[in-house]
Parts: sequence; structure tokens; C-alpha cells
Amino acid sequence: MPELKTELRNNIEQLLNDQAVDVVIAFKKADLPLRPQPAFFRNVEELEDLEYNGLCQNNLANYLTRYPHDTKIGIVVRGCESRSVNALIVEKQHPRENLYMIGVPCQGILDIRKIINKTGEDITDYSEDGDQVSVIFKGNEIKLQRSDLLHDSCLRCVHPNPVNADVLLGDPLPEGDPTIVRQAIEEFEALDRDERYAWFQKEAERCIRCYACREACPMCYCTECFVDHTTPRWTESDISQAGTQAWHIIRAFHQAGRCTSCGACERACPMDIKMTYLTDKLNKDMLEVYQFEAGMDDNTPPPFASFNLDDKNRFVI
Amino acid sequence: MSDNGHNPYNPIPMHIVRAYYESNDRSLKTFELVFDHQKDCDQFFSNYDPGQFCQLSIFGKGEAPFGIASAAWEGEFVRFTVQKMGSFTKYIHTLQAGDPIGMRGPLGNGFPLEDWKGKNIVIIGGGCAFSTLYALTKHVHHSKHRPDYEELIVIYGARTSGLCMYKHDIETWYQRSDMEIHQAIDVPEEDWSHHVGYVPDVVKDVAPSPQNAVAVVCGPPIMTKYTLPVLVNLGFAPEDIFTSLEKRMKCGIGKCGRCNIGSKYICKDGPVFSLAELNALPADI
Amino acid sequence: MMYILVKKNLDQKLSEWSAKYEVVAPQKVEAYSQFLPFTESSELALNEPHNTRYPPKSLFLPQSEVMLKYNKRLNKFDEIRILPEKRIIFGIRPCDASALTLLDTVFDTEEYQDPYWAGRRENTILVGLGCSEPPSTCFCTTVGYGPFNHDGLDAIMTELDDVFVIEALSAKGEKLFSDFPAATNEHELSVLRIQSNAKQGMNQAFETEGLKQTLDHLFESDYWSEIAESCLGCGVCTYLCPTCFCFDIVDEVQRNERVRNWDTCMFRIYSQEASGHNPRPTISERTRQRLMHKYSYWLDHIEKIGCTGCGRCVRYCPVGLDIRAMLRTASNFESEVVNVG
Repeated sequence: MPELKTELRNNIEQLLNDQAVDVVIAFKKADLPLRPQPAFFRNVEELEDLEYNGLCQNNLANYLTRYPHDTKIGIVVRGCESRSVNALIVEKQHPRENLYMIGVPCQGILDIRKIINKTGEDITDYSEDGDQVSVIFKGNEIKLQRSDLLHDSCLRCVHPNPVNADVLLGDPLPEGDPTIVRQAIEEFEALDRDERYAWFQKEAERCIRCYACREACPMCYCTECFVDHTTPRWTESDISQAGTQAWHIIRAFHQAGRCTSCGACERACPMDIKMTYLTDKLNKDMLEVYQFEAGMDDNTPPPFASFNLDDKNRFVI
Repeated sequence: MSDNGHNPYNPIPMHIVRAYYESNDRSLKTFELVFDHQKDCDQFFSNYDPGQFCQLSIFGKGEAPFGIASAAWEGEFVRFTVQKMGSFTKYIHTLQAGDPIGMRGPLGNGFPLEDWKGKNIVIIGGGCAFSTLYALTKHVHHSKHRPDYEELIVIYGARTSGLCMYKHDIETWYQRSDMEIHQAIDVPEEDWSHHVGYVPDVVKDVAPSPQNAVAVVCGPPIMTKYTLPVLVNLGFAPEDIFTSLEKRMKCGIGKCGRCNIGSKYICKDGPVFSLAELNALPADI
Repeated sequence: MMYILVKKNLDQKLSEWSAKYEVVAPQKVEAYSQFLPFTESSELALNEPHNTRYPPKSLFLPQSEVMLKYNKRLNKFDEIRILPEKRIIFGIRPCDASALTLLDTVFDTEEYQDPYWAGRRENTILVGLGCSEPPSTCFCTTVGYGPFNHDGLDAIMTELDDVFVIEALSAKGEKLFSDFPAATNEHELSVLRIQSNAKQGMNQAFETEGLKQTLDHLFESDYWSEIAESCLGCGVCTYLCPTCFCFDIVDEVQRNERVRNWDTCMFRIYSQEASGHNPRPTISERTRQRLMHKYSYWLDHIEKIGCTGCGRCVRYCPVGLDIRAMLRTASNFESEVVNVG
């Protein structure tokens, strides 16, 4: 990993020195060792703080939509991020020619809460080496296995390698096993209606409507979200069952054919709500019905955002 | 006024007694409300000063703040003029005499009438924000209060003559010897014998003296923005210039946190502020 | 007077209280903790080093609360004011209790008393649990409080190996514990040691002296856009914050209820006006509002910082933003501004 970080740094340094981009979106170190932050590099000197490790838990594609289209953006992309960037390019959120994608094959993002559950809260140092992760807790080193700490969505990852990159750093990793994610969904599908509802209800009822899931998602870039709409109001805005369930269902449906299963929504949730089972289910349906996976290239529109005047089927569905 | 058991979020039950269009394009409609219960009425009028506002409350639609357009001496009713803007005001416009409505108030500080006693008062308004100034003028020129103040000058602008509010009443102000009234519209119209031009320019022309005077300005943000420097140039001290602010509000009683500019809440510390007070606030508008 | 509560008797004691009071205590939910009513099957979460993730301010200002139920056709309403009978909140941390005293100055004012808040405050006894080993994300001592601060509490507990040593801090607290066994000298010495160690173990996270002036001075600077660049604009920091109190009032038309919900200055629509004008159009202005409120406006109102250092915003920010680092940057940023100027 340290070599990868050096390579990344050199690459970004070059981009900034050549003035090939206006800004590079990557991660930087923070005071708390488990919490590297999204960072926006414009000067080479700032690269002292560059960080790249398994704790970089946000989807950086999220920040693309904050820039005018003529801003030249360098962005570090892992598998899911490259697909999110693609999906945003398809939705005309930033032109491909003004993006420089620095691809990094991803070993998976670690779930901070899994680490804390195994050690305790006050971790003072963190390092990783291949499959090994080592943390210092109350002065003692604790060694952990990366595979035990992976975030649930990364355990199910199918495409760890960037699918669209201007440069690829590090060696490509083997593709993930699609049966893993399928199994997880099939387990959910196998439940009867009441059980599925009970599952959904148990997750949705913890929602505090903070919209961290929405704000952490690159595809939730609407200027006005349906929950914020006032004339008419589409959903109840409180934490009643009707309100939270409507939020989770409609949010998931708006992701159909657009979600890249990055899991940033779940990692952002302060209430540990599982929500990727909903989007994963929709992703599975999109694959089965339309043979479509979001963001695999930068020009195929998602099925629900495309139409054909010669369509033989009746409008709509 | 701590009153255990009283719930300041409860709307006071009211009925509309009169409802009429104020402008010929029907974008402005005036409502006069009476209290369903005498004790609410007594409570209201024991607290009310011009410049204050109320939350009008409609079940199923919510609440929104409106400045009070009537003076206490006019009778046991409360007047509001509502401009059709969003869904709430659109709904209010459908209401007629006899319809019930809820109200919370009076809220906010109102004009500092005590401090103004013995002074010349210059009232400058534009658009539908003139409503609270209408209440202020009516308060000041009432025979009971008029001796408390020196000269009274009112400058009121609207985009067109059709948008001028309280027409019939204001016509009678020209007959009064104890006040000056200047009305203006933006562009010339046939049969319009008063000023033509924007309010800041009219203020420049009228050039009220700053001697022993206070000026109060209420209007659309752009009008207020350009009128304040005119008054400063005429020699009015920032302490003697007042304006009323608007912001998105919910509770109206300084709790919900929404309407602050710096550490001041518009609903509780305002809506009336002196220019001196505004100058001390951060640029958060 | 100090008393002891033997740990193994805790459940029994809480059950006894349950006969006369509603007892609320921190309990595990998934991987986090939250205050919930105590029942026989409750799994208490008193062993976390810090406060519950979901803040107990919700016990006084519920996230969603029906204020009235209306009949549109008849234009009538019934006021809904569901207040607890007598209630004990057991194991609240000092940061959360002192936050309640700050919020009292908002909700229980001479001019307008919020009857929902006041009713709940009046009916509640707060039994605090001091923090023996505050984690590094906590910073109560920096903002003028401490791991064993008394503000707002009726009693405070210090945890020893097999007992909680209880110090009654009010008449309500004294009454609740008066029939408990008295603490020994040894107990009291241990308490002193633990409390002083806990406090000494905490570092000054940032300088508060002159911080308000610094922030006021930076109001129109680039500081805000710099610190907020990675901010998502979600409501995690404010919703979990024990001193954030903003709310919205909406009519839920399907239920004919007027409801108040937590709201936050971090949301775009929070201060958006009917005309479409938004005084805080970007995350920078909204971050400015959040920080200025806590570290400047509160001081204007009551000469106290509106933050009790509970650490939730630090622990749970989805992008790892740390308010302490932001505030440290403020001082540096200001000196840069001054130097350049």
C-alpha cells in the first residue's frame, strides 16, 4: 500500500505541476487515524497530507457535481467510483474531457464500526500491509485481518478495478464473484411478504431523516429532492413510519439503474441502517431484465432514462 | 408573561369579517379578522403595537407571517393584506368573509413608538410591505396620539396605481392638515397627479429634514437597499432610521432557530431594527 | 451526601423505581446506544466510554412531536401535549445534562415558555453517570465543562469496580437516594481520584479565549468555504448534537396533525424563502451558521459557548470532519489574514 500511495502522490504532483487539472479530488490524513477525509488538492505543497488506505470510506464521485462543467478535475477512482463517474458523465453532470481519472484497483473499504467493535473506540494509530491491518489501542498493537473488517458492500463487490481511467496505478485485482451479491439478495427474496416487510420496517424505523445517505451518494444530486418539495408535499417529513418508509423506498427506486453498489450510503448512516439490500435488489433486477449494470461505460444511458421512438411496447411498461 | 398551561403554538380561533381585493390585478387581498373569544381579543389588544406581525394559521396548509395593517383604535379586528405568492397565500386568497382562520400573535417588537414621541416621523413604504406602515400612520394620526408627535410625512410608492393599497383612506389623507402624503408610481399613467418614479428618488425630491426626525422604511429589499443611503445622505443618523425585516419563520417566538441574522432573531428581536442595529449585524441576509 | 448503589442490585433498583416512575436508560440498539424505557428485558449500555449515539435531548424535544390534531372542516383542534408522569433518566452523561440547561434558556424564557419542554423538564429527575475514561473524541473540558460536571443533574454517579458512588446534587436527587447506603471514606477517596484523573486525561482541544472575536472577524472570509469543502450538508452533526434545537412545524395532511420535527441549518431548504431567495445558498454559509451559532451567537445570548464537547459530531461525521480541527484552523486562518493584510 505505501508504494501505491507514493505512486498516487507522484501522479497527482505531475498533474498539478503540468497544470493539467484545476483540482484533484482525493483523500487526506486527519487528526483521527481512522478518519481520512475527502480532500481537494490545488497545490503540490498540500500533497504532504495525501492519504490512501482502506479507511477512505467516501465515494469521491459525489463531489463532481459541485463544479462548473469547465473545471478540469482530477479524481482518484476505485472500481465503484469509476462507475459512479461514468454514470454522472452519462447524465451529463461533467464532460469526460474535463476529467482525469486516476484509477486504483480497490482491495475494499473497511468498516470503521467493525474495527471499533473488535478493539475499542480510542484507536491512536493505524497501518495496513496487504491483508493485515494493525491498530494501536490503549498503547497496544492489535493485528486484524482485512477480510474480517471489510464493509458489507465491499464483501459483495464485483468490479474492484476501475472500468474507466486515464491511468491505472497498481496491479489489477481479480474480479469479484457475482454469486455472492446474488446470494445475499436471493436470501432476502426468499422471505415471505411479511418477513420482508418486517425486515424493511426494522431498518427504516431507525431513520432520523438526516439524509446522510442522500448527501453521500454521487447519484443523489438533484437540486431539489422529492422530500424537500413543498407544493405538493410528496411524503410526510417526520420520523413516523409513513415518512421514513416512503423515504427509503423512493430513494432506492430513484437509484434503479444508477446505483453502483458502492455502499457510501450505509457507511454514512449514523443509525447503522442497512439500505443496500434495496438497491442491490434493484441492481439485480436491472441486470436480469435489461442486462444493465450502472456505470460500466460512459455512454449507455440507464434503461429508465432512455427511450426509443420505435419501441414496440406500449408506453409505459 | 410566563403562563404555565398557555401554549404559544396554539392558534387563536378567528373569523374573517371582511375580505376584499386591494389591487386591480387581484394579487393583493385584505382580510379583516375578528376574535371568536373576547378574552383572546382583550389579550391581543393589551399587547399590540404597530410594526408587529402575526402567524396566520390554516389547518392542513400551515402557517406564515404577515404584518398587521390595522391600528388598535380602529376596532376589535385585525387587518392583514396578503400578496399572492406561494401555495399558502394562494389558498388564503380563496377565503371569504365568514370563513374561519387561526392566528398567533401579536409577535415581534413593533415600532419603538415611545422613543419617537416628540419627534417628526417620516414614513417611507413600497409595495405590500406598506401594510404595517399603514397601521403606523393610522396610529400616529389618530387624535389620541397625534399630539405626541411632531410632523408626519408619508411617502408611499407602488409599481402602478392599480397596485396602490388602501386607496380610499389614503385619498382622505390629502385633506388632512396635520400630515404630508406623497404617493408615487414607477411609470407615468393617465389621471395620475402624484409623483412618478422610484421611492428612493421620491425621497430625494421630498428631502425630509433629519432635524429631530426618525425615518422608517419598509418595502421590497431592493427599495430598502437604495432608500437607506438616501436617508443617510440627507443627514439621518443610523440610530434614527428604522426598517422591518422578513425571513423565513416557523415558530415566531424565537425558538425554532430559523430566522436569525447573526445573534438576532427576526421574529423575537425584530422585525423592526434601526439601521445602527443592522450595521452591527453580520451580512447574513 | 454520597451514597452507593451496588452494581448487582442495579436492575432491581431500576425495577423498583419503575413502579413509581418512568425509568429511561441507555440501551443497545444494533451497534449503537440510545435512551429507551427500562423493562425487565433491557440490556443496559452503561459501559460505553461516552454518551449514547442518539442524544437524550429527544426525551425533551422529540425528533417528531404532534402538537395538535385538527379538524379542517370544523376548524377546530385539540391540543396534544403528551408529557411523562414522573420520570427518571438514568445514566445520562454530564455533557448531555448540561446541554439541557443551555436549551432551557431557549425554551423556558420569561416571554414565551414552551410548555412541551417545560413540562418534561419539570417531571424528570436526571441521574448522571460521570465519564471515568473520556475518549479522545470528547472535549468537554475545552468548552468549560468536564467529565463530572454537575450542571443540570440531580445526582451524579462515579463508577467503581462493583458500585456506583452517588452524589446527590439537588433536593430531588437527595430524596431519590436518601435510603441508599452511605458511601465510605474509601469510596469517596476513589471517587476523587477517578474524577481528577478523568479530567487531567483530557487535553485542551482548541483555544476558546478570543475564539468568538476570531470567528466574527472571519465572517466574510474564505475560511468557511475552506473548512466546509468536504462537508456533505447532511444533518448528522446537528441531529446528534445535544445543543442543536432547531425545528420545523408542518401539517401532516393525511393525519390531520400539526407536527414539529427537528430541522437543521445544514439543509439547503432550511432558510430558503418563499420568493426563492436563500440567504445561505451553499454549504459554506450553512457551516458558518452552525459554527457561529455555537461559538459566537450563544455567547451573545447567555455568555456561554453553545457546545458541551460531547464529541458526537466528531465521531459520526460521514466525511470525518472534526469541529475541533475546524476551530483550530480559525485562529491560524485569522493570523494569516492579518499577516497578509
